[in-house]
Amino acid sequence: MALSRSFVLGQHYPGTSVVHRSGALVKLVSTIALMIGVFVATKTVQYVPIAFFLVVGIGVSRIPLRFFARGLKPILFLIVLTVVVQIFFTPGPPIWQFWFVRVTREGLGLAGFILCRLVLLTLVSVLLTASTSPIELTDAVSDLLKPLSHVGLPSAEIALVMSIAMRFVPTILEETERIIRAQVSRGARIGEGSLVARMKSFIPILIPLFVSSFRRADDLAVAMEARGFRVGSPRTRYHARHFQYFDAFILLGTAAALSGVILWRLFL
Amino acid sequence: MSIELKNVDYVYDSGEPFEYFALRGISMHIDDGAFVGIVGRTGSGKSTLVEHLNGLLFSARGDVIVDDEIVSNERTVLAKVRRRVGIVFQYPEDQFFAETIFEEVAFGCRNYGFSKEQVDESVHKAMSTVGLDPERFLSLSPFQLSGGEQRRVAIASVIAMGQKYIVLDEPTAGLDSGSKLAVLAELESLRQTANVTVILVSHNMDEVAEFCKEVVVLDGGTVAFQGSTDAFFRDADLVDRTGLELPESYRLARALKECGSPLTVNERSTGRMLDSLRLCVSDLGGA
Repeated sequence: MALSRSFVLGQHYPGTSVVHRSGALVKLVSTIALMIGVFVATKTVQYVPIAFFLVVGIGVSRIPLRFFARGLKPILFLIVLTVVVQIFFTPGPPIWQFWFVRVTREGLGLAGFILCRLVLLTLVSVLLTASTSPIELTDAVSDLLKPLSHVGLPSAEIALVMSIAMRFVPTILEETERIIRAQVSRGARIGEGSLVARMKSFIPILIPLFVSSFRRADDLAVAMEARGFRVGSPRTRYHARHFQYFDAFILLGTAAALSGVILWRLFL
Repeated sequence: MSIELKNVDYVYDSGEPFEYFALRGISMHIDDGAFVGIVGRTGSGKSTLVEHLNGLLFSARGDVIVDDEIVSNERTVLAKVRRRVGIVFQYPEDQFFAETIFEEVAFGCRNYGFSKEQVDESVHKAMSTVGLDPERFLSLSPFQLSGGEQRRVAIASVIAMGQKYIVLDEPTAGLDSGSKLAVLAELESLRQTANVTVILVSHNMDEVAEFCKEVVVLDGGTVAFQGSTDAFFRDADLVDRTGLELPESYRLARALKECGSPLTVNERSTGRMLDSLRLCVSDLGGA
């Protein structure tokens, strides 16, 4: 019944490595750049600069490899499916054939290419979320959106909404457990029986959850306003962060990897 | 027939670095028809203990026995145990979900397969037990009631199932003093009329002194005391050691004794304390 323990939240893996300590904005920008790089590449070999940079990053972060393996798990099905489709359904001269199933050289090549693309994209984002706490990440998103506030986008408020949402995930999981325990004590059979019965059995959990979430939101709004929060007025940050030398390394490394991919595609 | 715990251990995060014994070697016995208090400071294991009584949690070692049935994860056993032990959790009005109070109170009865007439009868009886007029309330929404009324409906929604044992975790928390006494008096009358065993988890020692004949005191996941409530509160050192407070009446009695006053009071309840005090004062005045 320990709901909260079966979720790994935000995939954050706390640590003190250089990757952990570098700025969230820097890492976010770097991640976006690397993802663009992944899509720029047209051949498998062109992934080499990005893969190299990523391997160095993963090594330096000292996050155990099985953590990354776990990050790949949710998309395992997607990977297998696309690889299989690419192998068996790419036209070209067959190198192996049985009945209507045929494998082509092009198919194998394309499958490898897609496989690398999916794995790289996942690992890059896992490295970002593993080495950056959710709060730092929302701050970074807010920084990234800041230029858009000039055209009327409430970037600070968006970031605040995100961080409040994340802050309350564990609280609401706990609340859910509490309600489940109470309803089970009243004889509720949750997730049992026919499909309709199963869906109906969630009503006594969802309604109290919504009611309490709205009440909590109301309380939070009052508490924030009581402590001087006003929408639209500028706020300072408790954890101010300044640019550090390893931030520069990450940015330079990213620039090198990205330009490597672009040059490789254009000239080789 | 009774509830019995034999050497029960419960461990959170068993086998992990944060392993933590919430309960350690708990043995206790609750007789049928008793009004038992479970007290102890925050984190002493009260709530964990309560969740063992109807199989929401299972002991790591030792047995929880409800009417000769050893509580286990087995379906048939769980169904039987939950049919006998009802729990009113803290702030039970947070579980409301139905459109009307009738639906809310009927929820448990329907889950246990009561017939339409049985549901009707149980709901009316439960509402009367908690002092709410069925005719007036049953068609209202549970969300439009006052705090005290909501708490009563929540308690009714558990006692309507007609379980033999009712466990209440802080049923009076957040209520005004009038509602507090009324809720507890309703539980006492339920105990007397329907022979229901009431197990009250509380931080309010005045309440415990007044309503619970027996008390189980938890401290650090172990039973520090089990026996008559009066005997516990007379041992002021033990009360202090277990992080609890003496009820007002016992404090007054002690203070009077310490300053050598000829006045004596009945500690068992605040009401009786005042009566005996009045009597003593008028005696002295008369003398």
